[in-house]
Amino acid sequence: MSATREIISSGNELAAIASVDAGCMFFGGYPLTPSSEVMHVISDLLPKIGGAAIQMEDEIAGVAAAIGAGMSGVRTLTATSGPGISLKAENLGLAQMCEVPLVVINVMRGGPSTGLPTRVSQGDVAQAKNPSHGDYKSITVCAGNLAECYTETVRAFNLADRFMQPVFVLLDETIGHMHAKAEIPTVEAVKAGIVPRKTFDGAPEDYLPYGVEQDQPAVLNPMFTGYRYHYTGLHHDGSGFPTEEIETCRKLIDRLFQKVEKYQDEIELNEEYMVDDADILIIGYGSASLAIKEAINMLRKDGIKVGMFRPITLWPSPEARMHELGQKFDKVLSVELNQGQYLEEVQRSMGRLDIAKLTKTNGRPFSPKDIIEKVKEL
Amino acid sequence: MSKIVMRFTGVGGQGVLLAGEIFAAAKIKEGGFGIKTATYTSQVRGGATVVDIQLDSNEIFYPYAIDGEIDFMLSVADVSYQQFKGGVRDGGTIVIEPNLVHPTDEDRKRWNIIEIAIITIAKEEVGNVITQSVVALAIANTYTKALDKQLLVDTMLSKVPKKVHELNLKAYDLGEKYATEAMAEA
Repeated sequence: MSATREIISSGNELAAIASVDAGCMFFGGYPLTPSSEVMHVISDLLPKIGGAAIQMEDEIAGVAAAIGAGMSGVRTLTATSGPGISLKAENLGLAQMCEVPLVVINVMRGGPSTGLPTRVSQGDVAQAKNPSHGDYKSITVCAGNLAECYTETVRAFNLADRFMQPVFVLLDETIGHMHAKAEIPTVEAVKAGIVPRKTFDGAPEDYLPYGVEQDQPAVLNPMFTGYRYHYTGLHHDGSGFPTEEIETCRKLIDRLFQKVEKYQDEIELNEEYMVDDADILIIGYGSASLAIKEAINMLRKDGIKVGMFRPITLWPSPEARMHELGQKFDKVLSVELNQGQYLEEVQRSMGRLDIAKLTKTNGRPFSPKDIIEKVKEL
Repeated sequence: MSKIVMRFTGVGGQGVLLAGEIFAAAKIKEGGFGIKTATYTSQVRGGATVVDIQLDSNEIFYPYAIDGEIDFMLSVADVSYQQFKGGVRDGGTIVIEPNLVHPTDEDRKRWNIIEIAIITIAKEEVGNVITQSVVALAIANTYTKALDKQLLVDTMLSKVPKKVHELNLKAYDLGEKYATEAMAEA
């Protein structure tokens, strides 16, 4: 295991520190409860290392500025909550189409609309899969404890550069604001893990940023370095200029999927908690998993053997592993702070509909007691 | 040490969050596990605010206090007192600011309710109302004996600006004095 250090902090603060440690040099955004501390902290950190943080006039401009920074070649961040993602959606689609790497932190709160600004929810899981119109393959990670607010943010930056697209980091109000000790990698270990995005170093006249193999992301040289190309949200050819040519259009969208699907093993990350000897399986993620773990420990004291499968990468989903677990366990319970957004993915992956569910959408967290009662009903 | 669960309640803007962070940080420095979670409303000021603090020698997963497990609560606003008192275990201690919090006779039978004029002490004796969170910190630690005093005071000082160290030390001493007196009377 690589070297670690201890920090006493909150999830939002850890995500901001992680961004800077991972090489982020730009933040563009707009403060939105319960994500605002990400912006507060990074606004303090970035200028000290020659980076920049800008509070723009609104959410849309915030993500637009961040995408612009990504086009210039630096690692870039925006952070908000669900209502902010709704506003940013169009530009997030542009970043998917143009293949601009960007990390988007969403500290989830109750919705829809302005919802419950200061209260917890996991209601943006479906949104993270397809925030804007059109077809593309989302990469979304979800922190389940304080340390992961750091490690998953670092991983998101690495994935964004590797796959050349926006990567979502989902936190929620509970995890963003809880304050305790986190054991995280040292800055040196994080720096050692950074792989810069690919660049083309041939002759400028030979450069085709989107002219790559069908399972590869675009190779976008930083702007203003002597390589001229075109960004557009329209379907485009290898040079980036718009086209409606039938095969080119087909291949472009196919490639946006294949570049992710073919390398899912580089993206997928799960935790299995006491699954080996369990009789009942709970599937949960994010802050709900904290109540689930506490409940599992209490249930086991009563001789009820329960385990938890926790996807850390929510999209693309760990469908193969969930399918295996669906064969092994008769009783499966899906626990999430929404009406069952991931339950549908669990059902699809397991190929069965008889999954019990425990959901909550009143802005309050699950208590371990809620979960214990539900398990005893199964 | 067995687990100690505390809850501080007030209204938005009163600054009850800081005391929770100090407790958690001091417990971690001691080598144990401490966790603070705050819940507040979307009102900027005046909404009920609650801070849960759990201190344990074992790892804590779930960040909120579980209803019925709270040993000690401190409240400086009636709206949040009424909303969150139900989480305190029967026989647990609740310290209230008597000018602002109004417990029922039933409450006084169910819990050990102690009246300390926290805000008045901060405002008039310490000389700055902002120090109420440090007065509260001292009262909570005097009652729960959760942590070594020096460790807690050092942690507190590390989180406040140097120019107000003397003021906050005074706030801690006064909080401790009033809590000790209240315990002697009980």
